[in-house]
Amino acid sequence: MSTILSIDTSTSQTSVALVKDGKVLFSKNHNDALAHGEVLPKLVAQALEKNRGIDLVAVGMGPGPFTGLRVGIAFAQSFAQAAGVSCVGVCSLDAMAANINEGEFIVSTDARRKERYWARYENGKRVSEPAVSRTLELEKLGIKIFNEGDYYPDPVAIAALALSGEKVLQPIYIRKPDAYPLPEGVKFRVMTALDLVVASAIEKEVYGKTAWSSAQFKEEFAKAPKDAYYLAAEAEGELIAYAGIFYVADVADVHTITVVEKYRRKGVGRELLKRLIDWARVKKADVIMLEMRLGNDSARPLYEQYGFIEVSKRENYYGPGLTAVVMRKELK
Amino acid sequence: MALVLGIETSCDETAVGIVSDRKLLANVISSSVEQHARFGGVVPEVASRAHLEAMQQVIKQALKDASVTLKDIDAIAVTAGPGLIGALLVGVSSASGLALALDKPLYGVNHLSAHIAVNRLDNDVKMSPTIALLVSGGHSSILQVNNLAKDVIVKGATIDDAAGEAFDKIARIMGLGFPGGPVIDKASNDGNKDAINFPRGLTQSIDLEKYRYDFSFSGLKTAVSRYLQQTPNYKKSDVAASFQEAVVDVLISKSLSACKESGIDRLVIAGGVAANSRLRELAKQRCEVSKVELRIPPIGLCTDNGAMVAALGSLAVSEGVSPSQMGISADSAASIAQVIW
Repeated sequence: MSTILSIDTSTSQTSVALVKDGKVLFSKNHNDALAHGEVLPKLVAQALEKNRGIDLVAVGMGPGPFTGLRVGIAFAQSFAQAAGVSCVGVCSLDAMAANINEGEFIVSTDARRKERYWARYENGKRVSEPAVSRTLELEKLGIKIFNEGDYYPDPVAIAALALSGEKVLQPIYIRKPDAYPLPEGVKFRVMTALDLVVASAIEKEVYGKTAWSSAQFKEEFAKAPKDAYYLAAEAEGELIAYAGIFYVADVADVHTITVVEKYRRKGVGRELLKRLIDWARVKKADVIMLEMRLGNDSARPLYEQYGFIEVSKRENYYGPGLTAVVMRKELK
Repeated sequence: MALVLGIETSCDETAVGIVSDRKLLANVISSSVEQHARFGGVVPEVASRAHLEAMQQVIKQALKDASVTLKDIDAIAVTAGPGLIGALLVGVSSASGLALALDKPLYGVNHLSAHIAVNRLDNDVKMSPTIALLVSGGHSSILQVNNLAKDVIVKGATIDDAAGEAFDKIARIMGLGFPGGPVIDKASNDGNKDAINFPRGLTQSIDLEKYRYDFSFSGLKTAVSRYLQQTPNYKKSDVAASFQEAVVDVLISKSLSACKESGIDRLVIAGGVAANSRLRELAKQRCEVSKVELRIPPIGLCTDNGAMVAALGSLAVSEGVSPSQMGISADSAASIAQVIW
């Protein structure tokens, strides 16, 4: 005799079932992608009214959107510890595939950001590791896809998989956290007039004729710290990057983010950009603007990642034939 | 004698405490702070993953330290806000799982009130009414606590940065590291606190009318960064000590004004910044002069911990507050007015 409490919160749905020796005593789903935390305890409380004695807890370990997924796993593990029983994790996609009768197929759930979590099955058996891919890429495989919405991980199937299937010990996140370590050995500090000799040399090397002079920098420094903010990055005691932002009438304007060639693509520009954005927020700016030269726009994906959107192009902005791309990020 | 287990996961500490009424039995903390240091601040997703990973072990260790089993626990308390939402949800979901499996009441509690409640532990002095100075990475407030579980009035708060935030930012500008509180405290050790006269925010008489018990640290932050910019060969320890003095001075002055003007001769200082050595020292001196009874938790109980959550839960039990309903909503921006969910 065994009674299994099974839980899944890997999709927009929160699902709970109580299965006693293969017989379903309780099975309920609630669809609300933002309410797993509130819904799950209520559903479990209802299930326990049918039968208080639990012999095993089974839980879908994902893949799924992180915050909701953790609600189910944290609850299941703690419940099991308090009840003095085991907690068994299974792959949530397997519990979705369990109700599909097809030869070869893919099940896929919403991974947000125009992507899907998915796995491939043949005759009911999973033949690929759970993965995350762009929706378009997945469709290119030309295999029939069963999407979240038509199907969900079935909590009754989770109970069965906990007894027979492959046990999953860790949450299936697949994606790494969106965090970037500070570039190693690089120090960030406020930029001062003492940096200008080196900065001017870097300006000439990077921007040629449109380089800023020391005098232009000094003019901007005079507005700091109230209306301007200039940052420097150094490695091994040498200036390797600098950035500046200026604030007037609710708008913050990025003046420059310049990194010497050798230190590009190491996260220095990202860190400078993040700090400029932080400063603009503290200043309570409504928007941040920046311009970059068309053709010299390798940092564009970085800006887009931080929410900058192209709003216009300004011809001859940097001189004859040099066009500026203007980007804007809303802070409100 | 209610035995209460408290869970705290609002930021980067996975913590479980167990108290028997006012007696502290266990206080276990697993911190992910080292994982965040290389990012220069707490990364919510990294913290949330670490909470889930550590939770079951931390609960087990707390039970072991307290020499009790889950079956002995009378109530579960958990931080339901304010904090990082993904991090809070790990704690709230774990607590709900425990409470349902044990069929015991659940108390969702306020993280800020819990910092104050920790003063109940291991003593039997009367705590309220009291003025409370709550200072942490996210908050700087002066509260009038008539009854911690039921009646808390906010007298003032920061209008920009929290005190702890100011410490973090100045530490970052000076290249001292993260978190800022301990590193500035340490850097100040051999510095002269009177070397630089940094501004005390909202202490001019014109500000005192409108912002009597409020704080502002953004002007101070600006003054420090301007000083660093204009003084190439500045002495780190002097800047750190002078900055720290400016923060601590205004925190204590305003708290003591609140005591005097409300006729309450008790002051509780709580929150992570209460671990600052200069704050503790100056508070002690000035409270003695003003004849105000001062309570500051031991340093180990100032930063986030589970004992404080259990302490507030046990206060709720003893005050006869109704337990929370199953399915409480974690609230990342909860105000201090919401003590029990």
